[in-house]
Amino acid sequence: MTGVHDLGGSPGAGPIDKSQHDTEDWERLADAVTVALDKRGIKTTDEHRRAIESLDPKRYRKLGYYERWIAATELLLVEKGILTRKEIDQKAAELEERWG
Amino acid sequence: MTPAKFEPGDRVRVRADGQPGHVRTPGYVRGKTGRIERFLGAFKNPESLAYGGSGLPEKPLYKVGFRQTDLWDGYAGRTQDALYIDLYEHWLEPA
Amino acid sequence: MSSDAHHDIDHKHEGVKPSAEAGRHAARIRAIEALLVEKGVLAEEDVRRQIEYMEANSPANGARLVARAWVDPGFKALLLSDTKAAALELGIDASGPVEFVTVENTPGVHNLIVCTLCSCYPRAILGRPPDWYKSMEYRSRAVNEPRAVMREFGLEIGDDVEVAVHDSSADVRYLVLPMRPAGTEGMSEEELAGLVTRDCLIGVSVPSFEGARTDAPGTANPAPRR
Repeated sequence: MTGVHDLGGSPGAGPIDKSQHDTEDWERLADAVTVALDKRGIKTTDEHRRAIESLDPKRYRKLGYYERWIAATELLLVEKGILTRKEIDQKAAELEERWG
Repeated sequence: MTPAKFEPGDRVRVRADGQPGHVRTPGYVRGKTGRIERFLGAFKNPESLAYGGSGLPEKPLYKVGFRQTDLWDGYAGRTQDALYIDLYEHWLEPA
Repeated sequence: MSSDAHHDIDHKHEGVKPSAEAGRHAARIRAIEALLVEKGVLAEEDVRRQIEYMEANSPANGARLVARAWVDPGFKALLLSDTKAAALELGIDASGPVEFVTVENTPGVHNLIVCTLCSCYPRAILGRPPDWYKSMEYRSRAVNEPRAVMREFGLEIGDDVEVAVHDSSADVRYLVLPMRPAGTEGMSEEELAGLVTRDCLIGVSVPSFEGARTDAPGTANPAPRR
């Protein structure tokens, strides 16, 4: 068993949903922050993938694509001691209060 | 990087062992036999980079081709259908 | 199936589009960005520039590469041997550590691209991939049921044609160079580019042209695009 992300040939995979959702601003932001951190040499694509693969399998399957990116980015920034979860919690609450 | 071990046309088997941690060798090719299609160059090792390592020394990467009928029981396509995947040299053994 | 111990995909269509947790994650990334800028880890400029860069890339880049390859054999040879250099010639900046390889459809071979492990895609040339490419269903079935997958897109590949699936498992990203449809002689390069959709560059479709022969080898008459 190599991991929930190792999907090639998974049994029971159904028809492909061809619908497309409009990319939301926060998804663009998630993409941009991830790549910007890569370009600054703070984290690599490989660390990013490893972090995504480490998510709980149930969460991996339920979360949207960019939600996994955000979870991975947070995990790595905390792992590297750049941010703490508490700081992020507090800032998220602050922004919520300011902007709703 | 040490010289590339394999050449196009060489038959290779993918390691069947389960190495823990971040690897880029999917389960569906493990233990399977295919042929080297081409040498893609040397790249930093993702298994090391994933944990903050340097990824050095660089590892040779190959495009490896498999018959679909060798990969999947009951493959419902043509017998000449192929699957190509990019695999690192340290995952390949001569077959 | 040769792969054992895989979890069944039991929830349809989950895992790509924003989930019920979207709001919470949106708040997290905004908080993260604000903190990183405050601490000088990133500049707002870095993020803004990256957003602009991503928006600038689109399947139109791929269509231009294909159209030029169709009319210019020298460019086609370059596209197949050094995709990055070919892109640069058309003003597409695909520089970076990732490599690009273009695989050619022929009367004998039809190519299909997937990344089973994480949905890697040639973003620096084509922009963001479609939702379906990132779906668990596509990542699972493109490798072991490619013909059935393509059929769902309205593409039937003949018995006399080999289907070659490429799993982008390492640092190489793939584009498909489709065959030029019959009946397009005399079309301008711009008109030719207009025939090449994003789906043709991934391999779930082929360029079609009204008036193309339906018995041309290696091609199929795909269902009309929505």
